[in-house]
Amino acid sequence: MIQLTQEQKNGWLVVSVRGRADAEAADELESGLTNALEISSRVAADLSALDYISSAGLRAVLQAARAAQIRQSEFAVCGLSAPVRKVFDMSGVHQVVKVHGELPC
Amino acid sequence: MKPHPAYVTIGNSEVILQGSLSELGRLAAETSSFCRQHRLADEVAFELNLALEELFVNAVQHGGCEGLENAVEIALRMTPQSVEVDFADRGRPFDPRFAPAPDLVAPLSDRHLGGLGIHLVRRMMPDLEYRREGEWNRIAMRRRLRPRDRQTEPQVESQPSESI
Repeated sequence: MIQLTQEQKNGWLVVSVRGRADAEAADELESGLTNALEISSRVAADLSALDYISSAGLRAVLQAARAAQIRQSEFAVCGLSAPVRKVFDMSGVHQVVKVHGELPC
Repeated sequence: MKPHPAYVTIGNSEVILQGSLSELGRLAAETSSFCRQHRLADEVAFELNLALEELFVNAVQHGGCEGLENAVEIALRMTPQSVEVDFADRGRPFDPRFAPAPDLVAPLSDRHLGGLGIHLVRRMMPDLEYRREGEWNRIAMRRRLRPRDRQTEPQVESQPSESI
């Protein structure tokens, strides 16, 4: 189960992601993030309410980052909890996706 | 200091999954219930769930387990120093120890996004053994427990559980 909500904040379109980004929810996450990139050229995924992420969820985030690169838009993730950050770090995702501590979420 | 008696008790939990991604919710519920029962920190539940999801999804999407009944059997065992995990699937022979490593350094535009799941399993569960037994892939893993993996606060168990 995953819930996505959008909010404009300091020039960013912030997509708050709540729940579990598992293989069942990955498509919904990817389309939520890529839809946001169609609306705004600066998109941030706020993951502070994300309880869980697997490689399928990570791939959704990477696909969004890839879509942003093609559009020459900005894409960032922020609000990573310790276990979520560990998964990002182990996957080398932090090298290709901007990871913010606080701002812009 | 002696370990709390509850930690010495060997507890087992077993779950059988059908070959469908719709089983992921049940897998997560079983894992977190095992961890609650043994007072393990949320981080342990997260990592056990992650390793099991990756192996399960791999068996369903690439191993031919899609649509199979009783495709996967999982057993979780609590020991004093670790959680032991047995994962068995009826998919094609697949030894995760020898799966190709994913590309973690290529620029995003060139990066092939496959292989991340098994990479995460191997990173989270370094003690991983594999054997093929009849029509089953059998994987044995161990998540070692550090002092901070135990919940120190007693859990509130007297509250009535929410029912719908």
